[in-house]
Amino acid sequence: MTMIVDGYVTLGDGLTRDALLRQMDAAGVARAVIAPEDRELAVYNEEGNQRLLAAAGRAGGRFIPACAATPWRGEEAIASLDRAVRGGCRLLVFAPAVQGFMMTDDRVAPLLHRAGELDLTVYVHTGPHSMGAPTQAVLAAQRHPGTRLILGHCGSTDHAWDIGAVARCHLADNLFLETSLARPWTVPQYLEAAGADRVIYASGAPRTDLAFELDRMRETLPVETHPGLYGDNLRRILGEAG
Amino acid sequence: MMIRIDSHTHWGRCWSERDGADPSNWLALAGKYGVSHSLVLPEHGLFNAGAIAAEHDLLERVCSRSQGAMVPCCTACIWEPVEALSEVRRCLSGGRFRGIKFHPWLQGCSVSVPAMDDMADLAAEFGVPLIFHDGTPPFSLPSQMALLAQRHPRTNVILGHAGLFEHYQEAAAAVRAADNVWACLCGPHLEGLRHLLDRCPLERLLWGTDSGFGLVDGLYYRVPLMDLLRLNDAQAEAIYQTNPIRVFGLHGVLA
Ligand SMILES: [Zn+2]
Repeated sequence: MTMIVDGYVTLGDGLTRDALLRQMDAAGVARAVIAPEDRELAVYNEEGNQRLLAAAGRAGGRFIPACAATPWRGEEAIASLDRAVRGGCRLLVFAPAVQGFMMTDDRVAPLLHRAGELDLTVYVHTGPHSMGAPTQAVLAAQRHPGTRLILGHCGSTDHAWDIGAVARCHLADNLFLETSLARPWTVPQYLEAAGADRVIYASGAPRTDLAFELDRMRETLPVETHPGLYGDNLRRILGEAG
Repeated sequence: MMIRIDSHTHWGRCWSERDGADPSNWLALAGKYGVSHSLVLPEHGLFNAGAIAAEHDLLERVCSRSQGAMVPCCTACIWEPVEALSEVRRCLSGGRFRGIKFHPWLQGCSVSVPAMDDMADLAAEFGVPLIFHDGTPPFSLPSQMALLAQRHPRTNVILGHAGLFEHYQEAAAAVRAADNVWACLCGPHLEGLRHLLDRCPLERLLWGTDSGFGLVDGLYYRVPLMDLLRLNDAQAEAIYQTNPIRVFGLHGVLA
């Protein structure tokens, strides 16, 4: 039986650790990536990283902690990333529209490079118009072939039209697609174009409802026939069995 | 059936290609989810200005076979202001079209050009709202629509997507910036919907699904998503019935 992993949840923004665990239990979600709140992505990187590590430590392996490091902090950001990874963080999150940069900016290159050295997967929020174009993230991935990038939200809404071309023609080995905020009925075509081993399910809670998103996605794509989507792909790129 | 009005749908080309001008399948899909009436916006004309007039005729034919369940809206290519105003006047004069829709992003025109001011005056003359795709810079921002509404206080302006994922806070600010700005809950995620419900006057909120752009059934997501808001009776009645009836002037139109 597939162990369902929710590939992106923000712990905070009103969602407490206990509430999240209750929601996961009720929805049949075994594990979830936990990501920093927006203010932690933008400003309070270090505080957020420590908060998530502490929460993960008390959750018996059910939380997969992500961390933040804003490229505006330069060398400090690298040091902070190293600390977070030593502490157990498993992904680095970029929200370029929140943090104020574009994935094609030179200032993000050192962090992308370091992520590759650390074998750390980078999750990029895509969708916001100027600062969240999937095509920007694809260029960054081309420049850093040793770093894995997850394109969060498949560009939803207005950059969704880019995803078809990206999935068909530009999906280098280090690129993956993630489904939160993507309408469930659009996901089959992404799977078809990108391949079953490249797409990762996530709810994006608490911006959305964790159980509702999973239920609607299962209505579209059953768990039984899509083990990669619902957890195996993410576990594989995080270096776990699967 | 209880009245539940979907204020944002389309009759996409794929429906005519399959069903001609017969709305039975389209209506069956809406009916399956309890939608009793729909405002039907153009689709082909948003991509191809040359297709606008013919699409209007088609929309009128389709909606006339719906026993009042489908109410058409028209569009125009604002880059040709004279033709645009005359085509919209032709539609509105017939009495069946109840709104003017623009998708400034797809149609490639700014909300802030003088021709849009003329269109706003024409809408006021016929007592129908302007409906915009919104949530997408640089041509489809709620703030651009709020200023248009401020310049034309007699014209109701509907934000067709209430800001989508990125601009829902701007949409709420736009609704509060002018009494004639309305927001259609069609696009934002749950957190965005809650934000809008909390901050916008209830009497200017609508609901829509964007259904019909393609053949795919998106209602299995859009309809139950609204259940998560746990609207009380007064909110549901306003958003699904009384508000759309008021803004589109549907009192005498609905079956
Ligand atoms: Zn639409």
